[in-house]
Amino acid sequence: MSKETTSATFGFFGVVAALLAVLLTLYGQGTGEALRVLFDRSSLLLTGSSNFSGFGGGFSANVIISVLSMAIALVCGFFLGGAMVSPNAMVRSVAVVFMNLLRSSPWLVVLYAMLYLLPFNVSIFGHHIFVSPFLKAVIGLSFPVTAYIAEAFRNGIHAVPDGQWESARALGYRRGQILRLIILPQAFPLMLPNLMTTYAMLFIGTSLVVVTGTSDVLSIGKTVIASDGDDYAAAVYLYILLLFFLFAYPLATWTRALERSLSKGK
Amino acid sequence: MNTPPCKPFIEVANIYKSYGSIAVLKGISMTIQAGDVACIIGPSGSGKSTLLRCLNGLVSVDRGTIRVDDFSVELLQSEKELVPLRHKVSMVFQQYNLFPHKTVLQNIMMAPIQVLGHNKQDVHERAVKLLAKVQLSGKENAYPGELSGGQQQRVAIARALAMQPEIILFDEVTAALDPEMVQEVLNVIRDLASEGMTCVLVTHEMRFAQQVADQVFFTDGGVMVEHGAPDRFFNNPSDPRLKSFLAKVL
Repeated sequence: MSKETTSATFGFFGVVAALLAVLLTLYGQGTGEALRVLFDRSSLLLTGSSNFSGFGGGFSANVIISVLSMAIALVCGFFLGGAMVSPNAMVRSVAVVFMNLLRSSPWLVVLYAMLYLLPFNVSIFGHHIFVSPFLKAVIGLSFPVTAYIAEAFRNGIHAVPDGQWESARALGYRRGQILRLIILPQAFPLMLPNLMTTYAMLFIGTSLVVVTGTSDVLSIGKTVIASDGDDYAAAVYLYILLLFFLFAYPLATWTRALERSLSKGK
Repeated sequence: MNTPPCKPFIEVANIYKSYGSIAVLKGISMTIQAGDVACIIGPSGSGKSTLLRCLNGLVSVDRGTIRVDDFSVELLQSEKELVPLRHKVSMVFQQYNLFPHKTVLQNIMMAPIQVLGHNKQDVHERAVKLLAKVQLSGKENAYPGELSGGQQQRVAIARALAMQPEIILFDEVTAALDPEMVQEVLNVIRDLASEGMTCVLVTHEMRFAQQVADQVFFTDGGVMVEHGAPDRFFNNPSDPRLKSFLAKVL
């Protein structure tokens, strides 16, 4: 096992052990009972339904929201980033201002804003679409993330040496072709660690959607505490912390490995 | 060549170029005949590389005219208008600028297929021949990062040749190479020159210029100070600036 893998494994078990230790310290004799409650409520916390009969609530909602927001942000960020490297100075400056506006909005503020700015019903060509809190959460989170992705995109393009542009132009390629055939294939691997870090941030940020009234893991957690009693509040939150950790940690480890292989490949 | 020998192949007349407040070219003129090897020498910052980039429209001039065969380069505006010029005039760079994510063969074949729309089979045949010409047969599937500097530069020359140009511009192509690799690249250029390819080189290789060039140009401070056949140019320079430059580099 390489040094990096060893330290990653240690980090993983270290955090899990630390969370268990906190649980033990807090509950002492009652730890077993606390674990039983967590076990019984696992289905609810993970899927939002009892006995794993459904899907789309609880922790799975956090996963789905993060994936959908990321997908929207990737598409929008791609275009915004493209506008930020436009040869047209006007387009470029508008895009940069817009990116900065999105990037500097606090996520929680954006989510609250979505709650009150977006209507509950939208009609498009006579079709009425119900804008659920879930949808609002997805849209709200995709705003700041769009800015991060646009920025990653611009940096990736700028990281490709100017000589590549010049030699491609000398071969008769046009701007769009150069971007598509020569620059982006080289920029994408450079952007990847950045995009993954952004995704990890977005994923952790999904815990904020509790304010929109989506039944994500945090609001399910609150329901569980309300029904099982405040005694188990700490255990429930530790459990939620563990869930986020289990999802985000492998991502972070993988990102670091990617960064290492990229810097070696240079 | 299809141009009559009396009409110069390349004719640069009184061109000016400034970057912001810095004037790089201040009224440069030069003419180059078809099939000639022209070397541009001069101290760094004298505008040699900018002058070279004006010939294929990579740099647009502020004033003056550039005629390359039948193209009035200074009038070509859009990328689309520039494609036929880029077909006729290829370029090789100091830093090779190969595409690192493509193999040697792909580097050579890309532009003829994607830009010129040539038939893939023909281009493949051409690429294989060109690799043999620059003595890199067997490296078809290597990536640029796996090759030495001299090998990369020879691939870059093959890539430029794959466009079937009539003129090749060389921008200090040996300046980034280790000394033992300089010759292998110069030999390829020498072969091209002997086959009648019109070559314009910005170079610091004075011996090479002396041996191979038909004409040598000396620029300093954005102006053309002196030009002439290498014999007279190197052995009997008249301008004091050229004299002091040659005293330093020879």
